[in-house]
Amino acid sequence: MIAELFILALLVLLAGFIIPLVIRADNTLLRTVSYGCTILASLILAILSLPVLLGSGTITLPAYAPAGLFSIGFFIDRLAAFFLLLIGVVSFCVALYAIEYSEHMDGGVRRNILCGATNLFVLAMVLVVAAADTFSFFIFWELMAAASFILVMYEYDRPATPRASIFYFVMTHLSALFVMLGILLLWFESGSFALERLAGTPSLTATCAFICLFTGFAIKSGIIPFHKWLPYAHPASPSPISALMSAVMLKVAIYGLLRFILDVFTPEIWWGVLILAFGTASAVLGVIYALKEHDLKAMLAYSSIENVGIIFMGIGLFVVLETSGLSVLASIALLGALFHSLNHALFKSLLFLTAGSVIHATHTRNIEHMGGLVHRMPVTGALFCTGSLAIAALPPLNGFASELLIFMAFFTSVTVVDPLLKVFLFLCLALFALTSALSAACFVKAFGSVFLGMPRSQKSEEAHEVSPLMLLGPGILAAACILLGVFALQVMTLAGFSVPLPDLFLVGLLLLMMLALTYAVLFFISPRTSRVSETWGCGMHFQEAGAEYSGHGFSEPLDIIFSPLYRTRIKNERAFFDEHGVIFQSGTAEIKLLRVFEEYLYLPVARGFVKISATIAQFQNGCLDTYILYVFVTVIALLVFLGWYV
Amino acid sequence: MNLEFFFYILLNTAVVLLIAPLFSGLIKKVKAWTQGRQGPPLFQQYFVLFKLVKKEVIYSPNASWVMRAAPFLNMAAILVAALFVPLVFVTEPVGGIGNVILFLYLLAFARFFMALAGLDAGSSFGGMGSSREMSIAAIIEPTTIIVFAALAIVFKTTSIFSMFFTSASTQALVTPTIILIGISLFIILIVETSRIPVDNPETHLELTMIHEGMLLEQSGKNLALMELSAAVKLTVLMALLINLMIPAGLALSLTAAGVVIGAVLFILKGSVLAIIIGLFESSMAKKRLFQVPSLFAMAFFFSTLIIIIEVFA
Repeated sequence: MIAELFILALLVLLAGFIIPLVIRADNTLLRTVSYGCTILASLILAILSLPVLLGSGTITLPAYAPAGLFSIGFFIDRLAAFFLLLIGVVSFCVALYAIEYSEHMDGGVRRNILCGATNLFVLAMVLVVAAADTFSFFIFWELMAAASFILVMYEYDRPATPRASIFYFVMTHLSALFVMLGILLLWFESGSFALERLAGTPSLTATCAFICLFTGFAIKSGIIPFHKWLPYAHPASPSPISALMSAVMLKVAIYGLLRFILDVFTPEIWWGVLILAFGTASAVLGVIYALKEHDLKAMLAYSSIENVGIIFMGIGLFVVLETSGLSVLASIALLGALFHSLNHALFKSLLFLTAGSVIHATHTRNIEHMGGLVHRMPVTGALFCTGSLAIAALPPLNGFASELLIFMAFFTSVTVVDPLLKVFLFLCLALFALTSALSAACFVKAFGSVFLGMPRSQKSEEAHEVSPLMLLGPGILAAACILLGVFALQVMTLAGFSVPLPDLFLVGLLLLMMLALTYAVLFFISPRTSRVSETWGCGMHFQEAGAEYSGHGFSEPLDIIFSPLYRTRIKNERAFFDEHGVIFQSGTAEIKLLRVFEEYLYLPVARGFVKISATIAQFQNGCLDTYILYVFVTVIALLVFLGWYV
Repeated sequence: MNLEFFFYILLNTAVVLLIAPLFSGLIKKVKAWTQGRQGPPLFQQYFVLFKLVKKEVIYSPNASWVMRAAPFLNMAAILVAALFVPLVFVTEPVGGIGNVILFLYLLAFARFFMALAGLDAGSSFGGMGSSREMSIAAIIEPTTIIVFAALAIVFKTTSIFSMFFTSASTQALVTPTIILIGISLFIILIVETSRIPVDNPETHLELTMIHEGMLLEQSGKNLALMELSAAVKLTVLMALLINLMIPAGLALSLTAAGVVIGAVLFILKGSVLAIIIGLFESSMAKKRLFQVPSLFAMAFFFSTLIIIIEVFA
């Protein structure tokens, strides 16, 4: 039954991909049908994943083997079902939102490509998660990369898009390259493409395979220092696509890492330390960069880097604890990582969708030109606020529940044997706490500058609430964020895990009780009148939006504290008429934001490749005689080699 | 939820609400004495709160539901957090109440809405306060978590209730580790309650204020809630320090005599701590905002030292 449903979901997605591309009419109904396919398929996927997730056993679909060694097959176990659920829930809400959103976009019939490719993208992600062997995993991984590239490239006529898309294209193929290398190395090791456990301690080949796969998945999930594509690709792509990429595609990469760690490799402790170290660096640096960002979508992209870092921390901790023989504690860390993947998918798609509404209403991505939107877009504001609460890990929402699991794993990991490792774990714990507190600061800034205060531009002044369908998708996500947080303990118990989580339902209840109590007491003893009067404008007659605290000003203290990390260079050169430096003659001043990773990592590597290519290009001089000489030399060399070797 | 825990909720909330203004009043009084002033009467805080409650609320035209909801959400979160720290008697916790991390994040919840309320009116003072509050809260967080991790290691539990049980049942637990944790907790208390040298609770000068800046647009009952919640937060953090260091008098079961003795002793111990805080504040000048991180680095050093002692001992 489940297998048939799965095939049905795939076919529906395929239909959603083909219909708008074959019938090339600029028609709202056509696109609605296409998104309807996404919605239907997502619903089927979410439903079919539930029984598997609750432990009804693994579903295997017969493999299609076109040629001996290569086969394409599917299987759905609990891990795959979990990620199918994640894909299903998020793409359901995103497609609901996109129906209306894409009608507001420019592009005429080009919008058919958008909805078609969205279906293809979802299809590819489903296939990656359900792939039964490494060969099909890689094929679908490539399909996912291609589909997402088309979507990022959608608004190619905007000035920043081509560069962003090419950047994304290169990075995503670098990721595919490393994944392919890893899979090939695994094939050398085991002689098959099956997802089987490699027995014994990992050999050199297996270790190399792990490093390659780790790099591939790290690039795809935006781990620092491979993260640079996220803040480029997300602002460039349409908001529903950003939501899908950030919420789901990054999680597919995490699925890949987990699948290989859990089912193929027998990890060693330093692998865990490696994952933990990269995770911690991404978490801290991600949120520090997010604080500095004033492009709303780029900020959300950096915050995705932070959250993926947290998930990697959970996975790294799991490997460290598992290899130290503490499997109960390790499973808590793993559960935390998985739960945070789901939670991040929910609140980040919520934030990206509401950010999309805001950008649609104000026609800008710069948070300094927003403000005061809570009066003009009250529902969107409330939804964004819910997302901010969840991402800032505040109880009783879902972000807190999953971070708490990872915190608990850290807190109780003191029984780990090696004292040096303990110190390392505590360092990670301290940085984790910093990350979580900084993300609260970051989202106070985001919500505050976008929705509160006074409008800081004409467009923001004239903004209006979006249509109900664009509120429904984020609304469902917001409800999911609250429910998964409040009932975190119950959900975990239902899935059969006993976790050291406090009962957040009780906490929520107590919060409501205290709220009611406070309100009731004040209702009776305090006067119920209130008056509206102008904010004090520091002596000015009226208050101006320019005098308000801006987003930039909000993050200034943290900018200064973390200035060694931002590497901002402030140059201030002045010339004076007199030697005492009193009468000013002329001067220049500039603030240069150093893009550390681009300047010290990406560009040197790129320049190296250009140099190598230039050297190789010398062989190609366009002269036929030279080419014949090459062929001749090659043939001679081959003859000599074969004669000597065979 | 059993009956005893229900009584615990009532009693703890009532005690913390009643005592909180006294302690903040006492600190004010001590500071006045050291400055050679008479100072306000000891119970002035109660009168102030009563006066504010009876006043009309004034909102800015820019203010939204955030401004209206924040005082209530803030108060509710602080009151729930107060349940996590037993003041006069410890009972068996229900449903994971008492988890240290949840406690910290409930405080963060309160701070989140307070900071948003600071931004809501569109005044530059509010924004300045919010910005500084969130920045300082963020950089103290590693220290806080390390201190609580150290507590979790020393007491082998993540529940504040169990920690108090352990400390109350083994009276003489004043080891070097506990003293170091006490120092770090004291620094956290100073930072979390916006006191000198990090912030100055008495000033409304734009260059120095943090916490007060956020409250500048609050009025009437909303301001009363904000003031009371700040006092409750102070009391709760003081209780945490007191009941870990000197748990004498903390009742381990629900008896009328035990609770009364516990309450009296708690007020005594709390008053001593309030005097210490007052003297500590008076003996210091407020640090510049960007010198504050170095203070935190010191607290971080102390707490890491505890961890290392615990790990290698």
